[in-house]
Amino acid sequence: MNNIIANILRFLILLIVQVIVCQHICLFGYMTPALFLLALFLLPLELPLSLQYFIGFATGFVVDAFAHTLGVSSFACTLMMFVRPYVAHWLNGSNNVKFENIDRPEPGAKDFRWVFLYTLILTSLYQLTSVLLETMSFRNFGHTLLVILGNTLFSVFVILCVEYIFHSHSKGEI
Amino acid sequence: MNNLIEFFKRAFHIIVLAVLLILSVVMLGKSLAFNDYRLSRAVQSVVGPIQKSGRSMIHRFHLGPENEALVQQNIQLLREQENMFIVKEDTILTEMSMPDSTNTKRVRLYDYTYAHVIFRTTDRAFNYMIVDKGSKDGITRDMAVLSPQGVAGVVTDVSPNFATVRPILHPESRISAVVTPANQNGTVIWEDNDPRVAYLEAIPQHSEINIGDSVFTNGFSNIFPKGLFIGTVKEVQVGNNASFLTIKINLATPYTDIYTVYLVENTFKAELDSLKANFKNE
Repeated sequence: MNNIIANILRFLILLIVQVIVCQHICLFGYMTPALFLLALFLLPLELPLSLQYFIGFATGFVVDAFAHTLGVSSFACTLMMFVRPYVAHWLNGSNNVKFENIDRPEPGAKDFRWVFLYTLILTSLYQLTSVLLETMSFRNFGHTLLVILGNTLFSVFVILCVEYIFHSHSKGEI
Repeated sequence: MNNLIEFFKRAFHIIVLAVLLILSVVMLGKSLAFNDYRLSRAVQSVVGPIQKSGRSMIHRFHLGPENEALVQQNIQLLREQENMFIVKEDTILTEMSMPDSTNTKRVRLYDYTYAHVIFRTTDRAFNYMIVDKGSKDGITRDMAVLSPQGVAGVVTDVSPNFATVRPILHPESRISAVVTPANQNGTVIWEDNDPRVAYLEAIPQHSEINIGDSVFTNGFSNIFPKGLFIGTVKEVQVGNNASFLTIKINLATPYTDIYTVYLVENTFKAELDSLKANFKNE
């Protein structure tokens, strides 16, 4: 129960920060952090898969609504939520995809390498999908690639910072 | 039948995934390919107000630079006002005797710059302000100081980076003024230690002054350009001295809340002052 409230609160806070602050950051003219992904990353893996997809879709829709890019983030988030358990299990080193209770993708439960790779892979997937869907063309592909790369690095940096800063403060619960 | 239910149970999340992905693509396609704005308009009507309040919150951090830009623009506009110039006969044009052209030219008499108040007092008998520009920035003694609302004071002392301003709120402050529509000239002084109120003296008793009349500078002092707002009449009394009225005025400048000020330089001040000095000596 406590866990659910913490998750919902985290979702709300991160979404508000994303749509009001992060979306208006444009470092060097093209780097925008996607901090709200952290809320999706920290969802418990043992939730029903369909619920996970739906949460991803809804989150993406809210972000889209504020960014005037309907469909882009919802697609990318849903796809990311689909890939997420596979990434987690690949990082755990087990080949069979079974969703166990111990799988908490949080800094307290995992080491830095695990958290870093998990964040990096999922963020780059999200950015790849969303930026490509937003541009909808392969013209000027060098710049598109630069945007994907820049967004990914900036997002990973911001997400890891927030994750570790707030983790150490509240002893295991973000 | 059982097999079918079993299949749905296992494949349910795949179906949800497919539906959600297709929904996303439809939304994306509608706004991109078909220029169908109904959905985005509906979303905007919900999101818009939230976004607006969020933006206005963030916008506070940008107010500083934006203010600075607006002050710059104000200076440009203020410099082009009619009371900044004197009209002179242009000898070159006269000699060429061009019939159509007006043989006058406008010569700049006053010039503007701006500064920020970094320290001020309002509750003392001798108040003063310090602004963040000095002789390095071309500030000299006796420059007029204006607030966005009206006349604020006069520069009395200048160091390389800062300048001291004597506001109207000072017993030695004297500003020649005209009260309209009666068009009577007088002097604004300050007595009551109230930062909102000053006195207009030397207005003859026969003049018709009403509460709410505006008081402007009259440009006699060579410090203030003509027609700058000082305040409005608050109270009119027949004074002890039978020939003059005692007039209380509300000052336009909010001294307790002053930050950006404009400084006005009279470019012919030295010349005019030397003429006045000769006049005194005679």
